[in-house]
Amino acid sequence: MPELNSIIHQPVRLQIMAALNHLGGREQVDFTFLKTKLGLTDGNLGAHLLTLEEAGYIAVQKAFVARKPKTFVAATAAGRRAFEGHVAALTAILKAKGSS
Amino acid sequence: MQLTSEEATRALAAIQTSREAMRSAVRAHRGHYHRWLWGVIWIAMALLAEFRGQGGVHLFPWICAAGFGGSMVLGCIQGRQIRGPVDKRFLGVLVAVILFAVLWPFVLRAQVNDQTVFAYAGLVAMLCYVIAGIWFDTYLLWLGLVITALILVGLFCFAAFFWWWIAIFGGGTLIITGFYIRYCWR
Repeated sequence: MPELNSIIHQPVRLQIMAALNHLGGREQVDFTFLKTKLGLTDGNLGAHLLTLEEAGYIAVQKAFVARKPKTFVAATAAGRRAFEGHVAALTAILKAKGSS
Repeated sequence: MQLTSEEATRALAAIQTSREAMRSAVRAHRGHYHRWLWGVIWIAMALLAEFRGQGGVHLFPWICAAGFGGSMVLGCIQGRQIRGPVDKRFLGVLVAVILFAVLWPFVLRAQVNDQTVFAYAGLVAMLCYVIAGIWFDTYLLWLGLVITALILVGLFCFAAFFWWWIAIFGGGTLIITGFYIRYCWR
């Protein structure tokens, strides 16, 4: 039985992991682009990314693009597994409700 | 950690919303703009060759250069949003393929005409698609194989209508693939 993940279940982190999990395995998304897509502020996104990074669920890479500093974010393999496990647990709750 | 079914439903809906938000960007990164650009370029080159003959064929290098420029601009714009790590081994393979493809026909003094030159260049481009498909994204593999087959059929079976064939089935296939990626890719 898959288990819920308390780190990922926080609403903003759930949004972030869902977005990152939608990317290809080797792809990274720009911090500002992710912020705009999810309708978050710099501080809010930054804080939650830090939590996810400390859990080993995402990797953050800083780079210069056209001489400007940019931050790119990607889900790690562990993050993808944890997110898929969390989604499976959510789905299992609904199935259990449906069968009861 | 315990959740009610309502909370689970809300969480799954939030996941879906987040995926939707990323979907358009991911689609764009899969390359429909590139397919449209090169589809138009193939059609333009084929029609120039059909209607202007040698004068049109002499414009091919300039049109291709504009296409490569456009592809680079698109790549730079998309790379600001979503990017993959630069795979040096993959770039090395592409450079080797293109160098060999350009070099050996000159060395061997191949006897060619406008149609075989175009078909050869198209086949080399499709070989690059096939390699990219094996390396990264399966749809490029199939697209490369399909257009390779279409080029060969056009060259050997419909030589009299070769440029129309390329415009419709080469450029057209690229453009339709772009629309498929843009509107049907989930």
